Amino acid sequence: MASKLYTDDVSLVVVLLDVNPFFWGGALKKTTTTTTNSPSVLSFSNFLNHVLPFLNSILLLNQLNQVVVIASGANTCGYIYDSSETNTSEAGVGGSGRMPDLCERVLGSLEEFVVNDQRTGWGADPTAANAASGMLSGSLSLALCYIQRVVRGGLLHPQPRILCVQGSPDGPEQYVAVMNSIFSAQRSMVPIDSCVIGVQHSAFLQQASYITGGVYLKPQQLDGLFQYLSMVFATDLHSRNFIQLPKPVGVDFRASCFCHKKTIDMGYVCSVCLSIFCKQHKKCSTCGSEFNHPHLEPISTSEQK
Amino acid sequence: MPQVRILAKNFMDMVAALPATKLDKLYENPFICEAVLRSLPPLAKKYALQLLFIDSPISAKTMEGWVLADGISKHRVAIDRLLQLRVFLEEIDRKKESTYKLNPKFQGNIQKYLVYGGSLPRQPMPSNVTVRLPTSVDLETYALEQWEGFLLQLISSSQVEKLTSFSASMMKFFQRGLLSPRENEAPKLTENGFQFLLMDTNAQLWYIIREYISTAEGRGVEQMDLISFLLELSFHTMGEAYNLNTLTDIQRSVIKDLANLGLVKLQQGRKESWFIPTKLATNLSVSLSDSSARKQGFVVVETNFRMYSYSTSKLHCEILRLFSRIEYQLPNLIVGAITKESLYNAFENGITSDQIISFLQENAHPRVAERIPAVPENVTDQIRLWENDRNRVEMALAHVYEDFPSKEVFEATCDFARDMGGLLWEDTDKKRLVIRGEYHQDMKDFLRRQK
Repeated sequence: MASKLYTDDVSLVVVLLDVNPFFWGGALKKTTTTTTNSPSVLSFSNFLNHVLPFLNSILLLNQLNQVVVIASGANTCGYIYDSSETNTSEAGVGGSGRMPDLCERVLGSLEEFVVNDQRTGWGADPTAANAASGMLSGSLSLALCYIQRVVRGGLLHPQPRILCVQGSPDGPEQYVAVMNSIFSAQRSMVPIDSCVIGVQHSAFLQQASYITGGVYLKPQQLDGLFQYLSMVFATDLHSRNFIQLPKPVGVDFRASCFCHKKTIDMGYVCSVCLSIFCKQHKKCSTCGSEFNHPHLEPISTSEQK
Repeated sequence: MPQVRILAKNFMDMVAALPATKLDKLYENPFICEAVLRSLPPLAKKYALQLLFIDSPISAKTMEGWVLADGISKHRVAIDRLLQLRVFLEEIDRKKESTYKLNPKFQGNIQKYLVYGGSLPRQPMPSNVTVRLPTSVDLETYALEQWEGFLLQLISSSQVEKLTSFSASMMKFFQRGLLSPRENEAPKLTENGFQFLLMDTNAQLWYIIREYISTAEGRGVEQMDLISFLLELSFHTMGEAYNLNTLTDIQRSVIKDLANLGLVKLQQGRKESWFIPTKLATNLSVSLSDSSARKQGFVVVETNFRMYSYSTSKLHCEILRLFSRIEYQLPNLIVGAITKESLYNAFENGITSDQIISFLQENAHPRVAERIPAVPENVTDQIRLWENDRNRVEMALAHVYEDFPSKEVFEATCDFARDMGGLLWEDTDKKRLVIRGEYHQDMKDFLRRQK
């Protein structure tokens, strides 16, 4: 496997952009209501102003670097941009002239994506709770699929990593899907970096970065987002062995229960399949094994005597 | 140890060796900034990016705080490189601490690149003027043919079919260091020449380009112009046509030489003529860093020391001939055997076993390249053993001491010599010992003290 990698810092960065309208709409409201332009709130266009130069800078660092952008909206997620496609088509291998092209293509497909995303949402109940939380699990899976294709494909492939730029709060109902993606990322040794631009910390991403060996960061000053991105997240995996990077302060390891999708501190765990429940059940809903009932407890204690 | 003088990376050293004013002038060209940035070691690239939007100088101490303890040597290398290339400018502040700042011209150009995006060095010609451009496959075969033709001519092979238009004196310059001229005989390849042939194409290309540039001033061309033109060329799009009229006179004369090397293909239309960069040209700036795309190999080595090379290239045949016995040459296949005699021949010419093995491994046929190891272990081991055979005897200057007055003195002398690490041989019965030459003085002093 190691022989299939390029010798130094060639990387494939899959960027997951949060384009959830519920989050950005909320952010916009805050910027308009507060008179002083608070540094902790960012409008979507400003956000893109920070992200696009970052994408460029990754492409600039090495001619063989590759960037893929995946948008996660309220109802769907999809590929927005793939730098390898430009290479083969009209722009050629030269690498120059990519930037205006990049900007145009990202913005074009983003617009298309948002319209489609909205249309898919029409059928569903707009007040549904899951809309506010975005499609982290879906976009993570897309990213991992893409990386698998690259890794299994050619003889030589760049070192893959994922960067989640997330603003929306976690959706506890996605717990199982997200955790599964995280573990498969861990298995295929793909670090997940996370940059949280929302108000709260994201427990999902804290765990994702912790488990996969990525970097978790919640920037203090969002108006300097580009500097955070270029200081921390532009570091290739090779250089990470030598550079001081933000260390996790504390990781929220709380799980969601499988029955009501609530985040819980304490719960019941199936001894067979490790499913988590907030209440005691007679039977595990995942694997079907039957549990001991509480009335057996006094008997077991008396036996111990 | 043979001196490893031929290195592709030396090109950037050449850029770094330019005087400061010339270097600063080079950075006015955004493509050079880009190429220089990409040639830097990974850590240095990161530093340049980090400081890109910071206008005030950063102290060296702060930067050292960015790295972990293991990375300090890499950090030094990165900073040295940045300073050499004048991407970072060092300033001493009032507290006598050194601070670093990005070269303003470099900074400006890269900032522009990130925000507005890069542009093409020049616009390709519209396709209605340039009818029938070569396909990318055609272009690649053309480039390789040109390059191989040049190499064959360079090593003065008898196989040359068409000569490139390089003048004999130019050719002499390229051959300098690779061939040793002999009276009344065909010149013989030197150690460096053999090593040169075993390098991959990009490394060879850079070596030639470097020689080409270093002799530029003799032809009345400014080195700097040539460097900037070459780097700029690598940012052109492969396979597109560019009008020759957009070039300066100097560049136009240079481009003819580059066409001989296979970097560009020249074509002429009804009114205008144009050049088409090939893969060799667009790969120029890629190969400045370590990572270069590997090309498909052609050699299969069997455990019985036979070697099958699926290649039609005469150059490959010449290279294989360096260390093996060629048995048959079929239209698309060269069959050879690695024998003790053929390898001894190679070792005498200064090729090392590691070079041969890495050549075989890097050029392994895709069918065997997937296997580990690509070259059978018994073959690689045997190649190394045969090399070791030649070094069975090691010579060391030594002194013999004998006629010791007593056993005690002899043993004390032995112990002393052993402690210094200079004892080569001892014979207790006859009271004789042999000491490494460089310890002779110490021994004399010691023995004098014994008396």
